[in-house]
Amino acid sequence: MRSKIAKKILESTSEDELIFVSWYADIVIRIHELLESNGVSQKTLAERMGKTAPEISRWLSGEHNFTLKSLAKLQAELGGTILHIPHKTQFTNAYKSKSTHTVITGINKKRNSDYNEDYYVTEGRPSYSDKLPA
Amino acid sequence: MFVVELWDDECTKTTFYTVRKDGAKMNETDKFLSKFRKKKGFQQSTRTLTAFILKEIGENYGARPEFFNRPEEGSFGLPPKGSVRIGHIRLEYNKFPLRLYAIRIAEREDLVLLFNGGAKESGTNLGSPELHHVMQEAKTFARKFTEALRDGAIEIDEKTRKLKSADGQNEIVIY
Repeated sequence: MRSKIAKKILESTSEDELIFVSWYADIVIRIHELLESNGVSQKTLAERMGKTAPEISRWLSGEHNFTLKSLAKLQAELGGTILHIPHKTQFTNAYKSKSTHTVITGINKKRNSDYNEDYYVTEGRPSYSDKLPA
Repeated sequence: MFVVELWDDECTKTTFYTVRKDGAKMNETDKFLSKFRKKKGFQQSTRTLTAFILKEIGENYGARPEFFNRPEEGSFGLPPKGSVRIGHIRLEYNKFPLRLYAIRIAEREDLVLLFNGGAKESGTNLGSPELHHVMQEAKTFARKFTEALRDGAIEIDEKTRKLKSADGQNEIVIY
């Protein structure tokens, strides 16, 4: 059973909007996981980054919209992958013409634990581990 | 009096409930979505919020605490067993304009009770009178629901991840 209105809204949601919320959720969770695994409090992180605790809190909730710069700073401070961008050479020649590039966070949704390189290719896209056809 | 009713049980990680006021045709969460899905300037935010609830909370992660903001205007106590924490779904990037009030039922990741919401027009809820009113209502719903859960009038069926009325009635009615 699903709310009819929610169903209609979801059906009218574009692919890029779905990708956006997925990235947003991944990043928020990933940053909190790194904080927890490193035993770093928001207050400590704020001190290290020369920011106030409320500023960091807003960063971590994504209120300021994540930028490449803010994510790079967080990744540097937290010492764990937040974004992973596959290199061209990691794709096989069979897919060269498809100009695929995928940017996703270092989260493994299946296990919700450690970063797993195999995850970053979404369903239906060329896989890191795909093999050339015989 | 209000009824606690199922809003979505199709997601793999979380079941969502909502509340419907006595005599109302529509539940509170659907009222919120109906209002904003066609309102100029809010269509995209409504889609984003709906997708976030059903896809990210419902399907991918469950109701992780990171997805719920801190309780607004503090929490209110229900001694002796803790307090009710009313917050909203935490989607705050780039001054996200909508607030949808919700609680994680018994602080679980697989059961969420959604309420009504509104547009945040200023830095505080007091600066958004309509939103403030909705939040006050949500607090009342949350408090009464939590009391019913605490008193055993509502039970959680672990097997089906559903709520049920302890008196065996089909509807969960709270007075």
